[in-house]
Amino acid sequence: MLRLILTRIFLGCLTLFAVTILIFAATEILPGDVASAILGQGATPETLAAFRIELGLNRPAYVRYFEWLSNALQGDLGTALTNKREVLATITPRLINTLFLAGYAAVIAVPIAIFLGIVAAINEGKWIDRAANIVSLGAISVPEFFIAYILIFVFATNLGWFPSLSTVYSDMGFWQKIHVVALPSITLTMLVTAHMLRMTRASVLAIMSQPYIEMAFLKGLPRNQVILHHALPNAAAPIISVIALNLAYLIVGVVVIEVVFVYPGVGQYMVDGVSKRDLPVIQACALVFGGAFVLLNTVADILIIMVNPLLRNSR
Amino acid sequence: MENYLNKLKQLEPLVVTSGVSRRDFIQLAMMTGLSVTAAGSLFSKAEAAGTPKKGGTFRMGMEGGSATDSLDPRTYADSVMIAASLAVYNGMVEFDNAGNPIGELLESWEAKPGAVEWIFNVRQGIKFSNGKTLDADDILYSIGIHRSGDTKSPAKGILAQISNIKAISPSQIAITLSGGNADFPVIMGDYHLVVVPNGFTDWENPIGTGGYTLASFEPGVRLVFKNRGDYWKEGRANFDTVELLNIQDVAARTAALQSGQVDAVNRLDARTVDLMKKNKDLNILRTKGTGNRFCFVSRVTSPGFSNKDLRLALKWGIDREKIIESVYSGYAVPGNDHTLDAYNPYYNTDMPQRKYDPDKAAYHFKKSGLNGEITLSTSEGAWGSAVDCAQLYQESMAKAGITLNVKKESADGYWSNVWLKEPFCAVYWARRLSADQTFTQVYGSGSDWNDSDWRVPAFDKLVEAARVELDEEKRKAQYFECQEMIAEDGGMVCFGITDYLDGYSSKVMGTQAHARYDMNDLRIAEKGWFA
Repeated sequence: MLRLILTRIFLGCLTLFAVTILIFAATEILPGDVASAILGQGATPETLAAFRIELGLNRPAYVRYFEWLSNALQGDLGTALTNKREVLATITPRLINTLFLAGYAAVIAVPIAIFLGIVAAINEGKWIDRAANIVSLGAISVPEFFIAYILIFVFATNLGWFPSLSTVYSDMGFWQKIHVVALPSITLTMLVTAHMLRMTRASVLAIMSQPYIEMAFLKGLPRNQVILHHALPNAAAPIISVIALNLAYLIVGVVVIEVVFVYPGVGQYMVDGVSKRDLPVIQACALVFGGAFVLLNTVADILIIMVNPLLRNSR
Repeated sequence: MENYLNKLKQLEPLVVTSGVSRRDFIQLAMMTGLSVTAAGSLFSKAEAAGTPKKGGTFRMGMEGGSATDSLDPRTYADSVMIAASLAVYNGMVEFDNAGNPIGELLESWEAKPGAVEWIFNVRQGIKFSNGKTLDADDILYSIGIHRSGDTKSPAKGILAQISNIKAISPSQIAITLSGGNADFPVIMGDYHLVVVPNGFTDWENPIGTGGYTLASFEPGVRLVFKNRGDYWKEGRANFDTVELLNIQDVAARTAALQSGQVDAVNRLDARTVDLMKKNKDLNILRTKGTGNRFCFVSRVTSPGFSNKDLRLALKWGIDREKIIESVYSGYAVPGNDHTLDAYNPYYNTDMPQRKYDPDKAAYHFKKSGLNGEITLSTSEGAWGSAVDCAQLYQESMAKAGITLNVKKESADGYWSNVWLKEPFCAVYWARRLSADQTFTQVYGSGSDWNDSDWRVPAFDKLVEAARVELDEEKRKAQYFECQEMIAEDGGMVCFGITDYLDGYSSKVMGTQAHARYDMNDLRIAEKGWFA
């Protein structure tokens, strides 16, 4: 077990390393660089040249990459090329915000999705199953900014229950943050619930048709015991995978939500960094996002193994 | 009509505190869309009722910032940072609402005949927020950071005309230019030129002479300012606290204003502003035709576009009114194929406004002897609605029998890859500080930004002569001729100049139209107060 975890972590680090090289290369291939991006229409050949020398952009790509890598391994993520602020100091509060929003949405979405998924599976074909499917599919088919605007229009502009700007600041109390971030969390919940719900339903349905489940019912076990102790553990593997995937999406894929609700997360930081070709910023965000994916997938893999005795006890 | 009283309240104090003349007042009021008679009667009604009140927290939500922003004046490019800068710093020259330069930290100036040698007087008795008194060395340093050999400041280009600058005394500066320039004080009003103490480099903790001090700064998110208490300008810097939130999305900005989360926003959406106007708690301020100039520019050295008749066909074949109605809901004025707007004193009022004429377009196209398709490169990266405008252009050209292809380019890297390279592409131009600067930068033979590649020695001579011409009538005639040359022979189809649309809570006073930028020249935090 321990060997398994260590192997996974090692492979995860390799993946991250590959990700940083890919992102660095991709950014280099894009036309333009920090100098031309910042100066924009204001760029003349002299100001561009001056800018590049000042930032060390005239050195070859691999030199700059290894310099970044050696600094990053020591914990120094460098300073942003555009505004000279330390990347680590800027990204940390944004990462906390992103995790807060993701956690907030997950805490609502995951229990609802699993509960409704099980209910839908048990009552297959009945109205509650159909209703759950239609509503969740509808929510996931609509673009997130559309849901967001409708929620803002109804709850913020008209009813005034929640603010339309979800910007959080460090001096805000916990419950104030909960209130301010409610609308984006609800939007995200609507986005991710469908996938988890349908996977839960499909997985449980597949198990429920197995002979040993029928045997458990024939033995006289109550329904919830059958589901919780016999069906779910076997249905768990795909459900855990889908939850991990959606949690990763909640961290990585919410730039549009950040823009619409003006929420200071890592997504907006990365987009701004890419449009200005600010490499330290882009690399740091890539590390954060890649790390989130790797971590969540690793935890998911471990959980799946722990839940399945066959895999747990092998070798 | 429901906004009449509100507008009256806004314009009153202008008459009292800055002593603006009746003529300028009417021009101002007309910028907000009032008629001449209404404006005239407003002026007559204005009383000394507009004394600014102190206090309150002023929250602004603005587009034009990013997570890569900095308070280093050499990096300013967009509205959020400029507005922030004017809260903590002062400029050297500011502009009154009609667009004339007036002294700020350089309180007055004079030129020796020929407009080559200038003396500027430094305002006395001004203290920075750290207690230091302002003197000529601070001014020299503040200009110097934009001029020094390896600077990356975009202001370097406009300051290149300075051949020598020195302090004659702690309160006077002498500037010698490489050539005469009667508009030089206007150049000193560029938004990059703000004043910091001599030798200052700690941009994270700005020290300035402005009305507020910086309390916190999260780039791309928010700036918070606190009133410094002893501001040298009477009746300005009236709020206790100012919060400047960066809200890039227009729907989020609009919702924030409507729900009262912010008191002021910039760049409202033209398509929803009519609905906003119905809201009694809001005051929508429209500044007509001083915004960005939207153009389709052809390079006259490219094959095909070197033919003058083809260029004329391009200019006659665009339906300006339709684009303004459809894309901007009427919130723009037609451009006349050059980049000056009607508020510039040298705007050519003799030239008729070119209108859509498919017959003339077809005639010139035939006369050019060319056939085949014309390709127009456009992108959302040029400006948000550039693709929509291009598509309407395509339709109007089709009616003249000319095939226009619309080529959509990627937004990312548009300014590096498409502008100045493709033979026919979409460009926007921001307002320049003076007619001279406009003609030199956009159409001058020596300019790197001459995107139509139209370099005509006779034009340059005309601009140079006008630059030192102190006789107003002669100067006007010269600039009129310049505009005729550009509109007739140049490669640019400038079809519209947008209005600025600011939104304010009705509690905010001191909001006036300004000839230069929106949000009262981006100084609303300094100039405004709560009723």
